[in-house]
Amino acid sequence: MRNGVILLVEDNPDDEALTLRALKKNNILNEVIVAHDGVEALDYLFGTGAHQGRDPAVTPQLVLLDLKLPKVDGLEVLGKVRADDRTRLLPVVILTSSNEQKDLINGYGLGANSYILKPVDFSRFIEAVRQLGLYWLILNEPVSAKRGL
Amino acid sequence: MLNLGGTAELLEPVKSSKNRLLYASIFLLILTIGPVLAWPALRALILDSNYLPHRYCYLAQPGLVWTHVIADMLIGLAYVAISFTLAYMVYIRRDIPFHWMFLAFGLFIVACGGTHFVETLTVWVPVYVFSAAVKIFTALASISTALILPFTVPRVLSLVQKAKTSEEMTARLRRSEEDMRLQNAQLEAANKELEAFSYSVSHDLRAPLRSIDGFSQSLLEDCGEKLDSTERDHLNRVRAAAERMAALIDDLLNLSRITRSELKRETVDLSAVAHSIAAELQKSDDKRQVKFHIQDGVTAVGDPHLFRVMLQNLLDNSWKFTSKHVSARIEFGCKSLGKGPTYFVSDDGAGFDPRYSGRLFGAFQRLHGVTEFPGTGIGLATVQRIVHRHAGRVWAEGEVEKGATFYFAF
Repeated sequence: MRNGVILLVEDNPDDEALTLRALKKNNILNEVIVAHDGVEALDYLFGTGAHQGRDPAVTPQLVLLDLKLPKVDGLEVLGKVRADDRTRLLPVVILTSSNEQKDLINGYGLGANSYILKPVDFSRFIEAVRQLGLYWLILNEPVSAKRGL
Repeated sequence: MLNLGGTAELLEPVKSSKNRLLYASIFLLILTIGPVLAWPALRALILDSNYLPHRYCYLAQPGLVWTHVIADMLIGLAYVAISFTLAYMVYIRRDIPFHWMFLAFGLFIVACGGTHFVETLTVWVPVYVFSAAVKIFTALASISTALILPFTVPRVLSLVQKAKTSEEMTARLRRSEEDMRLQNAQLEAANKELEAFSYSVSHDLRAPLRSIDGFSQSLLEDCGEKLDSTERDHLNRVRAAAERMAALIDDLLNLSRITRSELKRETVDLSAVAHSIAAELQKSDDKRQVKFHIQDGVTAVGDPHLFRVMLQNLLDNSWKFTSKHVSARIEFGCKSLGKGPTYFVSDDGAGFDPRYSGRLFGAFQRLHGVTEFPGTGIGLATVQRIVHRHAGRVWAEGEVEKGATFYFAF
């Protein structure tokens, strides 16, 4: 398993804890950086604000992006990530409660790599995270770039 | 007689109006040519001028003579101009109502004009017989017009009434159009609100359920061995409740999506849809002995996706409520009851108590316990909504343990 950083963009502390637990249950031991809103996520990715000085060339291996976020919402974050050359090719998986057609269309339209619905059943959520980790952290071959540790 | 069916004469066929114009022209021509042809015979009589020219009546005073001459000429010219305008109007709009009356007026006015011209002539040339002839002709034209006019009054009045009614109707139409526009705007706003509501439900109502389920399971995993069986059972009930609520939310959202989705109109082969759903159901549990009888060639016009959802719900229902029977029969078809086709899905399953049939189609209404037959009670509400969106109606017949039949018609 490549051990790049996973950027988890999630404002709900429960969902954060459950996602971290699901990752741990599946032995996904990559470092997880948690951004609690869209601004924090963008600051991390571009080395601005609270993350002033971080090298934006070092990109996470995977971004898990919630859609409904305070300040800057998930779709806007996705738009900015895809518009910037440094993060254009970053694998972004939307992980959300919404199965509204509108969100799916906008998500894929803005260039999300996957759209995963968070199931209410935690066992199914653990399984979803397992497959997600397997696919995006092991099977999928990313564009080689400098990676965070 | 008061003619109320005036629309036909409002739009009198152009052909007949053309004919009338032709007759009027011939009539005028005869009136003009007749005197010319009869001229040699009439000449002596008409132009008998052994009288005193009219100007001597005015004692040949230039002031009075010219006042009369100018006044008569002006009146005559004005009459001719009026007639010309009337004739032109009828010529342009042959469908004008009572156009023959306009022509009669025209003739009458031209004749009046003629008398004034002759009046001018007799100031110098004393052709009083000719002048009398013109006057007689004018009198005839005037009397005819005067006689015809009263008979046309009711028709003219009814025409005016009709014009007024049509004006009122136009105003009413404009008002109702305005109302409709307003209602549409309100509907659109309500739909937007519903969409925003669904969106928020979709996002926000599931999150706490994930926490309830997630942390309950975490507890079970982390300290399951410390809990006794009752405590574990309680946690499992918490999880099951969260799951059920999630299912309810999903169903509610799907139901609201049916209301919001755009409606397509196509001819849908309902038989084919029913066959494919039946095949899926049979594959889902091949141990069951269910015979599907699907009538071929049944079609309806509407939204293909919504029709599929509708049949899916009805056939799922039949499949579910026949599950307690060793063998079952599920039928889909179409009969002719009264006007238009009536479609039906029937089964010989658990049926329902007809006393409660009014509750069948309500959202989250169930006539059976969850433990007896699983479900959220949204299926038939969905069916009803789909049928209603197609301006149709849906109803059910059934008896306990004697099966149920669901009918729908558009």
